[in-house]
Amino acid sequence: MSVIEANGLGKRFGSTWALRDCSLAVPAGHVAALVGPNGAGKTTLLNLAVGLVTPTVGSVTVLGGQAAGSPAALDGIAFVAQDVPLYGNLSAADMLHLTRNLNRHFDQRAAERRLAELDIPLKRKAGRLSGGQQAQLALTLALARRPRLLILDEPMAMLDPVARHNFMATVLTTAVDEGVSVLLSSHVLAELERVADFLVLLSHGRVQVAGEVDELLAGHRVLVGPAAEADRYAERLAVVHARSGGAQAHLLVRMNGDAARVPPGWDAHPVGLEELALAYLREPDAAALPGPARRTVTAVAG
Amino acid sequence: MDGGAALEFRLDPASGVPTSQQLVQQVEHALRLGYLKPGDRLPKVRDAVASLAINPNTVLKAYRELELKGLTEGRPGQGTFIKATLNRVGLPELTKLRRSLLGWVSDADTVGLDADGMAALFASVVRDFAERRSGGAVAEGSERVA
Amino acid sequence: MSALAGPVLEGPNGLRPVPWQRMAWVTWRQHRFAVAGMALFLGGLATYLWIIGRRLHHAYAAAIACHSASSVACVDAISEFNSLYRFFLGGYVLQPLPALIGAFIGAPLLARELETGTFRYAWTQGFGRWRWTLAKLILLALVVVAAAAAMSVLFSWYYRPYFGAGNSALALRAWSPLDAYLFDLRGTAFAAWTLVAFAIGALAGALIRQVVAALAATLAAYTALAIAVGMFLRQHYLAPLATTRLNLPSSAWIVGQWWTKDGTFAYAPWPPGDLAFRLCPPSVVGQGKSTSQFNAVIQCFNRHGYAFWHHYQPASRFWTFQAIESGWLLALSALLVAATVWVVQHRAA
Repeated sequence: MSVIEANGLGKRFGSTWALRDCSLAVPAGHVAALVGPNGAGKTTLLNLAVGLVTPTVGSVTVLGGQAAGSPAALDGIAFVAQDVPLYGNLSAADMLHLTRNLNRHFDQRAAERRLAELDIPLKRKAGRLSGGQQAQLALTLALARRPRLLILDEPMAMLDPVARHNFMATVLTTAVDEGVSVLLSSHVLAELERVADFLVLLSHGRVQVAGEVDELLAGHRVLVGPAAEADRYAERLAVVHARSGGAQAHLLVRMNGDAARVPPGWDAHPVGLEELALAYLREPDAAALPGPARRTVTAVAG
Repeated sequence: MDGGAALEFRLDPASGVPTSQQLVQQVEHALRLGYLKPGDRLPKVRDAVASLAINPNTVLKAYRELELKGLTEGRPGQGTFIKATLNRVGLPELTKLRRSLLGWVSDADTVGLDADGMAALFASVVRDFAERRSGGAVAEGSERVA
Repeated sequence: MSALAGPVLEGPNGLRPVPWQRMAWVTWRQHRFAVAGMALFLGGLATYLWIIGRRLHHAYAAAIACHSASSVACVDAISEFNSLYRFFLGGYVLQPLPALIGAFIGAPLLARELETGTFRYAWTQGFGRWRWTLAKLILLALVVVAAAAAMSVLFSWYYRPYFGAGNSALALRAWSPLDAYLFDLRGTAFAAWTLVAFAIGALAGALIRQVVAALAATLAAYTALAIAVGMFLRQHYLAPLATTRLNLPSSAWIVGQWWTKDGTFAYAPWPPGDLAFRLCPPSVVGQGKSTSQFNAVIQCFNRHGYAFWHHYQPASRFWTFQAIESGWLLALSALLVAATVWVVQHRAA
């Protein structure tokens, strides 16, 4: 089952395509990261998934085929939007009560316990909580709904490092305890490396990379060797991104099974998620999707 | 956080080693140094996730690898327990090896190799040795177990 | 991966929606300050009108109870009534009230959510987007209509002395119940106008997405509608009656005047000045602007074969007109609410 599935999905605002040709399926049971630079279409994709935005072309379904924004979809998805919108003049207790009234399920006791653990006073107005507390309150509301899919848009933007750790620890333990699938977006790669096991890379409104992190990492290598030979091998290998400085060249390549043998005299190193994502983001034409990747070589002086 | 566990994981974000490998290495390290012994319980997946804020599948993957290596066993409903111990080298042998290595280091110093050079050479030799023993292709030489 | 995917991922079939009545608390909690503000404002106005209304009614009772109409005491009583509370005379100052109530409750309803981004919270809850919108609109519409209905009962009571049958005879101020500025303060029309203002506000808020701009647009749209209805539409609800009688009661609403000569249409509403001067010069009919003077001019024209006609709506049609106006305003409000729900459900947020 896919928690989110898009087919030829596109959204145009005025004359600008915020998202186009988006086809992807994120299987259940993952903590999936939606990564891309600002303006890549992350928020648009998430808004499409929760039904806040309707597609210009294509379709998007959630939770195994439910139309995005349909009652069944809204019932099973909890969404924390960017900048965590809360009613500033309502108290934390009121926000709990509000959310409880607006949903079929709401675990009032768990929510109150969590706010107590976080030292968030129930009587304080949401507008007077700190940014971190607001994010935690929004997350508490979302989790108390007992969703099957938790969607978080730039959840850590307002948080300091300790709060980020606590926030993600909560999200991930919920994933363990309740089998919640998670889809979160961020433009900060480093913080997702440990958290995500499924990666969707968006760039300029298109999906560039989508897949399980383990498979992506296993399927890519950095080849280090003499710069003079780089161009020759770049012809044969699926090079995502190449850096060449004087004598030595670094090629980040996609290993197509046996076809991509490492040339003699070259070293193959495993890649990290951040390195992989950066390489793709630097090469907007490269893609790690079903189908061959386009070869691009850029020489970097120095 | 988890009173029953014999080990508390920590992560080094700067090491560049994949998270699940770090967990495996920490268990192996603790076994080698005798901090862990058969019957000890590893942290529950949930507790490891809560304290490190890492993906649960990463912990599961590390525990699966430890189990495949025959170091641990999962007991349904109870957790993951240390089953075996790693070959521990006795103190006399260690002392002997250390002494011979010291001789090698002083030789290297005499020909002008500095500390970093020695470390690089040592790592390279260990790698070559491991490769020769496993008979792996040269191309896969520097690959870690993915 | 399988460790995380559990039976919890099975889709719910036959999902029962969140009960409608839950929105009562939600609406109250979110809009209590706006509703309380409105209640405070209307309560203050009502108290004031009640206090001065009692004085007005006493003055009226004294004036009509006075028997020797030309006595000094009576003249005093009559002028006391006529000059009392000029501020509220004719209902002009109360005209913006529906617009104010409607705009201040209706316009921020969606505009604030859209302006502050909280719609992204509200519309992604299990209750559902269009149901949330419809429930809020209906609940607040009921509050607004109830408040307006209560106010219009008070207005009806306050202005009653001005519609007394014998007022003209006693030289007391008298108005037609159909008069543009009093008609829509009384009966069911006031509540209907308030409802329509609320609905305009809600739609404007959904479209404009900014509280202040939506408020301004609501006031402008409402004013245009109210003026158009008062000036051009209301008089056509029923075909007016035609008469050449000169002594129409003060309660009749005159909506047209014209002249005929020998049975065919001649001029409207008045004959040209040169014709009047030629046929009925001041030397014949005298000068001045009194009623008798006016009648002399008309009689002079009558002698030349001209007849002076009035189109009017009799006061007896008040409730019929109320029903017609309230009916179409209610239909318009329903349409606006439906449009608002449609906009919320279908427009990209």
